[in-house]
Amino acid sequence: MAVLVDEGYQTHPTVQHRFFPYAQNGGTVVAVAGEDFSVVGCDTRLSEGYSILSRDVSKVRKMTKSGLLGCVGFHGDVLTLTKMLDAKMKQYKHTHGKDMSCEAMAQMLSSTLYYRRFFPYWVYNMVAGIDNNGKGCVFSYDPVGSYERETYRACGSASAIIQPLLDNQLGYKNQSNANPAPLTRDRVRTMVRDIFAAASERDIYTGDEVEISVIDANGIDTQRFPLRSD
Amino acid sequence: MVSLAVDNMLVGKDEPKGFLFENCRRNAFMAKQGVTLPKARSTGTTIVGVIFNEGVVLGADTRATGGSIVCDLNCEKIHYIADNVYCCGAGTAADTEFTTRMVSSKMELLKLRTGREGRVISALRMLKQYLFRYQGHVSAALVLGGVDVTGPALYTVYPHGSTDKLPYVTMGSGSLAAMSVFEDGYKVGMNEEEAKKLVRDAIRAGIVNDLGSGSNVDITVIKQGSVQQFRPYEVICKKSERQGDYTFPAGTTAVKSSHDMVPFSALRVTDEEVMEIS
Amino acid sequence: MFQSRSEYDRGVNVFSPEGRIFQVEYAIEAIKLGSTAVGIQTKEGVCLAVERRITSPLMIPSSIEKIVEIDDHIGCAMSGLIADSRILIDHARVEAQSHWFTFNEKMSIESVTQSVSNLALSFGEYDRKSMSRPFGVAILMAGVDENGDSVLLHMDPSGTYLKYGAKAIGAGSEGAQATLEEQYHKSMTLDDGIKLCLNVLKQVMEEKISSTNIEVGVCRKSEEKPGKFHLLGKDAIDTLLTTL
Repeated sequence: MAVLVDEGYQTHPTVQHRFFPYAQNGGTVVAVAGEDFSVVGCDTRLSEGYSILSRDVSKVRKMTKSGLLGCVGFHGDVLTLTKMLDAKMKQYKHTHGKDMSCEAMAQMLSSTLYYRRFFPYWVYNMVAGIDNNGKGCVFSYDPVGSYERETYRACGSASAIIQPLLDNQLGYKNQSNANPAPLTRDRVRTMVRDIFAAASERDIYTGDEVEISVIDANGIDTQRFPLRSD
Repeated sequence: MVSLAVDNMLVGKDEPKGFLFENCRRNAFMAKQGVTLPKARSTGTTIVGVIFNEGVVLGADTRATGGSIVCDLNCEKIHYIADNVYCCGAGTAADTEFTTRMVSSKMELLKLRTGREGRVISALRMLKQYLFRYQGHVSAALVLGGVDVTGPALYTVYPHGSTDKLPYVTMGSGSLAAMSVFEDGYKVGMNEEEAKKLVRDAIRAGIVNDLGSGSNVDITVIKQGSVQQFRPYEVICKKSERQGDYTFPAGTTAVKSSHDMVPFSALRVTDEEVMEIS
Repeated sequence: MFQSRSEYDRGVNVFSPEGRIFQVEYAIEAIKLGSTAVGIQTKEGVCLAVERRITSPLMIPSSIEKIVEIDDHIGCAMSGLIADSRILIDHARVEAQSHWFTFNEKMSIESVTQSVSNLALSFGEYDRKSMSRPFGVAILMAGVDENGDSVLLHMDPSGTYLKYGAKAIGAGSEGAQATLEEQYHKSMTLDDGIKLCLNVLKQVMEEKISSTNIEVGVCRKSEEKPGKFHLLGKDAIDTLLTTL
């Protein structure tokens, strides 16, 4: 990537080239934690610059019976990171004789990211699933491992336009006399679908299809719906 | 901030010509201090033109972007130059709009001065001389098309001022996608319907495959003595229907205080004073 | 004791023609010289008790530490060469912390023991970190897991570890184990378990049992799981001894 070094007003600014081995491949993930379930949605577009690399790449993958992982950012790092995590999950299972819990996975991901503090995986992560107490849980991350448990979160290319919507619709921010409707699986699923339809109107890196997974004690139910393809 | 004094025909004789550069030093200084300067809206675009047996078909998508955000879902990119000349614009939205508008006004003045309908090549020369003068800083990439006494004419103009004269042309970020359709489907001596269909396919290729292009296909058909505009010619991507209900119940917005508004007609004049306002 | 003692008992990584590794067997013998340690697992939790051998009146009894904490929820009793056990204990503590650091959960008792076993087995490897001989110590690892299960594990110098309901190691282990087998039953309460531990110790100890010459550690399953491991104080042990 070229960085323009501005030396005041001149016609030909000096161009300094630096090592920058990352790309932004777009995509958005939204996760919502309910009482005894979680919902994760992602679009399926993979892009670079003004080009679409694929219209069918899911950004959410199953890690355990009760845990999903959503990753967006630089796809190369997404592939390496998830491969590494898969290996770690297997190793954990062999060593400790049990599946990793969502909480354990959350901490393990954080450690894995922080381990690369000065050459990070350029990935925005989100863990969603069912916690040790059977409650829905969502954990969101920055690329170097800072994480937080939340009830709803958007990350990726359309996060800046979706998060305020979630604050309004699920956080009931700045509303007086708000009467929160119960969070049901159907309501969240519908909302996530509408949110992605809206995001794909305005974010060029979000589109093609939305994949929505509902995870609860019975397992994972995944559905796909079409989005704009332009 | 940027005042465009197009020509001394449009502004007073004493006014300086062209752009005003007085803020350049200040802006460079501000940028150095870390102030992020506003980003211009650009039309990362697919625009095309093709000549057919009776005239010219121009086509464009309708998306305008600012970075990765869509600023306008249905903007107009086929600009009027003269009754017989139209021009598609790609690049910085403001540059394409002002450049075509300026040439449009000059073409009108030319028509009035000469008493004849302007030629496409006159508009072309105005555009390329203007763009060359600004050495590519006026980022307008154009597809110019029209029909005049010499017949149909189709050109592309690049931001630095170079031009091409071709039977089928594409411009903008979706130009490669669109050109692939033209290279596949262009034939010499197409009829109007064939040409429109080809242009539609080319723009659609841009809309679907180029992230800078989107929404609808606009088409303008220019023939000897007639212009037909289709806006939109076809909607390629529509917003899907909303599934949920997001209506806010009454009272969601807090009202801190309220008072009854007194209608103006209910006011009674009790005192009146005339003041001098020179 | 061994009929065919020969040069085969010198190398730790050489089998004898009969298929034995003498150094490991000798190490297991070393445990039988150690002081007695007893552990009992019940549904309510686990307890550990060890004898302190006070060989001189000038010795300060409290400086003998044969029950240690590995993590909040795990304790460990040992018998044999106590100095050797320090290496294992340090390793177990580091592993437990590292597990918490990476996974934000308490390491299971079995996993800790597995990891200690790996270290115990690494003797004779040609790197600077490994011991040149087997560790001359046996341990009882006891605690309550994050899911609420109480666990007692025994590991010997060969690195073999097994789950037990009740287990005794050290000099008096034979007699103690016999008593345990007689009196232990799965459904006993933790308090009964602690008493049984003390009774067994009392039986096998040469000296008269007192609050100064034994150590007792307990991990009781609590509402806020996992349970907390703690060593009983002098007063608490005195009170227990009066009930025997």
